Amino acid sequence: MNGSSALVDNAGASQSRRVFWDQDVYQLELERIFSRCWLMLGHDSLVPKPGDFITTYMAEDRVILSRQPDGSLKAFINSCTHRGNQICHADSGSAKAFVCNYHGWVFGQDGSLVDVPMEERCYHSDLDKSKLGLAPIRVETYKGFIFGCHDPEAPSLEDYLGDFCWYLDTIWDGPDGGLELVGPPLKSTLACNWKVPTENFVGDGYHVGWTHAAALQMIGGELAGLSGNRADMPFDDLGLQFTMRHGHGFGLIDNAATAIHVKRDGYVKYLEQTRGGIREKFGPERERLYVGHWNTSIFPNCSFLYGTNTFKIWHPRGPHEIEVWTYTMVPKNADTETKRSIQREAIRSFGTAGTLESDDGENMSSATYNNNGIITRKGRMNSSMGKDREGPHPVYPGIVGVSFIGETSYRGFYRFWQEILDAPDWAAIRANDDTWDAMWTNRNFWPERLSAKEAEPQD
Amino acid sequence: MTETRKPVGMELHHAIVNHYSAEVRMLQNQQYREWFDTVIAEDIHYWMPVYEQRFARDRRPDPTPGDAAIYNDDYAELLQRVDRLLTGQVWMEDPPSRIRYFVTNVEAFEIAPFEFEVFSNVLVHRNRRQSEVYVHTLGREDKLRKTDSGFKVFSRKLNIDARVVQDKNLYFFA
Repeated sequence: MNGSSALVDNAGASQSRRVFWDQDVYQLELERIFSRCWLMLGHDSLVPKPGDFITTYMAEDRVILSRQPDGSLKAFINSCTHRGNQICHADSGSAKAFVCNYHGWVFGQDGSLVDVPMEERCYHSDLDKSKLGLAPIRVETYKGFIFGCHDPEAPSLEDYLGDFCWYLDTIWDGPDGGLELVGPPLKSTLACNWKVPTENFVGDGYHVGWTHAAALQMIGGELAGLSGNRADMPFDDLGLQFTMRHGHGFGLIDNAATAIHVKRDGYVKYLEQTRGGIREKFGPERERLYVGHWNTSIFPNCSFLYGTNTFKIWHPRGPHEIEVWTYTMVPKNADTETKRSIQREAIRSFGTAGTLESDDGENMSSATYNNNGIITRKGRMNSSMGKDREGPHPVYPGIVGVSFIGETSYRGFYRFWQEILDAPDWAAIRANDDTWDAMWTNRNFWPERLSAKEAEPQD
Repeated sequence: MTETRKPVGMELHHAIVNHYSAEVRMLQNQQYREWFDTVIAEDIHYWMPVYEQRFARDRRPDPTPGDAAIYNDDYAELLQRVDRLLTGQVWMEDPPSRIRYFVTNVEAFEIAPFEFEVFSNVLVHRNRRQSEVYVHTLGREDKLRKTDSGFKVFSRKLNIDARVVQDKNLYFFA
């Protein structure tokens, strides 16, 4: 399928509604995004010991992630090479081998085919087991977070994350070991296109006050003023928004890391105790990030809220449905009580019965299903907020928008979405590495704004 | 386990079943605050743990209240959930959805003077907007206290019969 330029208009900051609905768009996404990008599999903390495994998905493909005897990781397709059955049906565990329920073929921790029942009598030395291992997947980790990729031509994980590493280091590396994931994941289905929650997490500070009016009013705290959009707040000075080369991005609300948590003494204390270490290690610009709240998506389908610390993978199930997986991020070196309280609060707000999560699902279904009407589907969606109030920044990598309530990272997400859908291979994407941000034409926005600020008389 | 304990007599059993019927009628009528004030004890632990799908041979312990849980609320936390619904700003409940409960298989045992452990099955039927339908079944383990103002639940464990929840959220009381 060609013509994705009709799907995304970068200059006009709009998208066709077909991006949430059309089966052929989804098919192309499976081939060109989910088969070529690094997808989130988990974290070291979920498979700590040799033999530990989890089962997960890469788009609609079932995958086993397995810790090897030497401590390395392997991932492979969870489907028997004999007749295709799913081999492992457990969410997690520890296993010396994986045995298919159908005919009993046995695969090792590394995915190789190690035993076939009655092999001599049935196959008469005619079966080359070395060619019948489970299909392997590239696995790489960044700061303990484990990703998988099907495309041998894709860049390394570190290059794929690119400039985003500079930001992620702040929290994933942290002062003393960074963050880890705790499960088990909560799982639920949601009738929406996978991009709706992804775009919401990547850059939607706008919906917070309205969609979550009730929850914010009830929780109180720093964000209570946003509830119902009642407070007259100078959004330009309350945060920033960022987008990267490969569509990753986030919005930052200053000094609001733990704002959604009600019981937060342990976490607040932890952040206060460790922010000095961050300033020393990464400088004041990233100390600002460390104590702020992030709404984040890693392209294509992994999102998290740093501070709230909910961590999501949106597994697509066709164009109109996803399976939502919810983990919690916790500081690796916090005490057990603090970790537990972070997990409890994160799930309380953004778990399956979350006080904020429950507001979002409705919007996400509605944004998807309204496009079943043919006339409706011919319309477009607007993402123009803050369009000329963004650009390259002297300190922060990528493209930076002036307010956390803006759509900078929406535009960055769809810019790359379109690029990768159009590109025949990763070489074609690499060819754009020096020009990817050309659509942001207001190159002097930040230099001018920062020097004007400097010139302002100090109170 | 159950055979060593004495099931409650017919009259008490009847009273507990009636209590459950009154409870779900309040929830069906969106009388959340009345429900909370009438049936919830101040020392409530309202818990819906997450059960991983594991091999039968897996020896890891069952979830505790220290682990991931869909609900893990004390009295104040449960009240906050009620209050959220009463702010008038929960847009997805306006127009309101329709919910119906069926409580069956009620088995009650006296565990202390005026305290009872009660097992029941709960079927929840949610109907939203024009045509959204979600059905959940839950196994419920209650600890009830008989007070001057009726039965109060001080421990409620809800086992939802789904590894992947077939709904956009589970923000309802059961």
